[in-house]
Amino acid sequence: MSGGRIRAVARRIVAQFRHDRRSIALLVVAPLVVLSLVGALWGSTTQTTVRVVIASDRGPAGAALASAIGSPSDIEVKIATFDEGVAMLRDRTADAVISVGTGGPTVLLEGSDPLRTQSVAGTVQKALLGRAQAAPSIEYLYGGPSYSLLDSLAPVLIAFFAFFFIFLLATVSFLRERTSGTLERLMATPLRRGELVLGYLIGFGFFALLQATLIIAFTVLVLKVQYRGSVVSIFVVEAALVIVAVSLGLLVSAFARNELQAVQFIPIVILPQAFLSGLLVPVEQLSSLLRPLSVIFPLTYANEALRAVMVKGYALGDPLVLRDIGVIALFAVVTVVGAIASIRREVA
Amino acid sequence: MADVWAVRARGVRKRFGAVEALRGLDLDVRAGETVGLLGPNGSGKTTFIRALAGLVRPDAGEIEVFGRSPREAVGSGLIGYMTQAAALYGELSLEENLRFFAQLQGVAEADARIEDALRTVDLLDRRRSVVSTLSGGMRQRASLAAALLHRPRLLLLDEPTVGVDPALRRDFWTHFRTLADQGVAILVSSHVMDEASRCDRLGLIHGGVMLATGSAAELVARAGTPDLESAFLALSEAPATGAKLQ
Repeated sequence: MSGGRIRAVARRIVAQFRHDRRSIALLVVAPLVVLSLVGALWGSTTQTTVRVVIASDRGPAGAALASAIGSPSDIEVKIATFDEGVAMLRDRTADAVISVGTGGPTVLLEGSDPLRTQSVAGTVQKALLGRAQAAPSIEYLYGGPSYSLLDSLAPVLIAFFAFFFIFLLATVSFLRERTSGTLERLMATPLRRGELVLGYLIGFGFFALLQATLIIAFTVLVLKVQYRGSVVSIFVVEAALVIVAVSLGLLVSAFARNELQAVQFIPIVILPQAFLSGLLVPVEQLSSLLRPLSVIFPLTYANEALRAVMVKGYALGDPLVLRDIGVIALFAVVTVVGAIASIRREVA
Repeated sequence: MADVWAVRARGVRKRFGAVEALRGLDLDVRAGETVGLLGPNGSGKTTFIRALAGLVRPDAGEIEVFGRSPREAVGSGLIGYMTQAAALYGELSLEENLRFFAQLQGVAEADARIEDALRTVDLLDRRRSVVSTLSGGMRQRASLAAALLHRPRLLLLDEPTVGVDPALRRDFWTHFRTLADQGVAILVSSHVMDEASRCDRLGLIHGGVMLATGSAAELVARAGTPDLESAFLALSEAPATGAKLQ
């Protein structure tokens, strides 16, 4: 062992990174950004009150129960018709609808997010304890008692995997195309830039759909995940998302000189989306500081659409789902145009 | 018969930020003519070739390739471009690479053309080899094959024999001669003087301008030096005296 040689290697590594200011910035800045995100995400859990609607049209006992519950700090009671309550449950402006019939109270929960469902059920049961004549029976708008976290996560994980891996692969492949000189060669053939980008979209789209097929098969057959909607709708949402992932990859590859720099885009492009797109924490529960950020991420809309279709059983033609797919398509247009323009930037 | 001009370039200028790569470059190449571009590194050879291939848009000046703009010429398959690096897909076999480029060029009877091109560069027996397993010289030959597939009428070769051994270099020039005899115009950039002497005509580039054009013998006579190498050095070191030889 020679101390001199080891020192030389170590010194060389430091010197190399000194010239790569971006890597150093990333090394220092990225953890701080990610930590602040995590802090803002879990440090300030908003919406701790449970919003309960008591049905006014299911018997006179409802009003009595409402005044019996009163207004404890963790519950916000509203009185409305049962149908209004269900509608509020659907757009997530209420967490539970209680109707008191002759057989005792029935609690209807939203049910698509098992963690939230559990905490809501706990709070409501505690509030009803001793105030209702009988133990409440619990029903679910979506999902059910056997509904697990995996059931609610599986659809959005499909979107996340597709976005993450396809973005990464597209970035690195196109970077190679740029650095190895093959892009130069391609541009000296009749191939047009738009044709090149479309070819990339189709090629990577093929792998993304293959991946989705595998994940769906695995989740249904092995993990026994319960899907309510048609599997075709996953492919529609995923196809739109993959266009964004590929073209964003092509665009980003223009800003990287080598594969190391390309990999640095992962914490910038992928991590915030993992935290803020509704994958880990529902968007409605994000603090008011972070919620505006979730609006600019394509994955937010993919998650919402996939949850609506696969967990809640919405049709693909539902206005909410169509709106989400439309927004993703808009992202796709912007990134595709950006990708084509980035090829021009380099090759006249 | 009037000359068919493969290349007519007039006053071509191109600036990249603070660097003026081309400062009013002129060059004509006839069909069937082999013209060598000689010049030190950074003299503008590659920029000029890229401009002819439609990859660089000049700030000023005019370029015509067979009477069309470079982009149009590329679009109609008139140009074959062999880049400095043997730009091929390393994960694909030689044949897969060539088939891909044949498809982009819209080559009819691709099988026959691929076989032709591989025979020309003597790689027919390696057609199923993955490109990353080929030696540097083989990759260079494969790259030439890819540039020849669609039978271009103007072949742009950017330092095609860098890193190529003498025997292979001789083979390359045999191919080039054959192509020129078939009427293909060839523009080849090089530092290698013995290569330059094989060209019909030479253009001496320095600092983005054409210092002199003429045959090797004319340039030697013009510079009053014993050989091409010293003529090249004399002409590029004294640009002021480098009036054009026509």
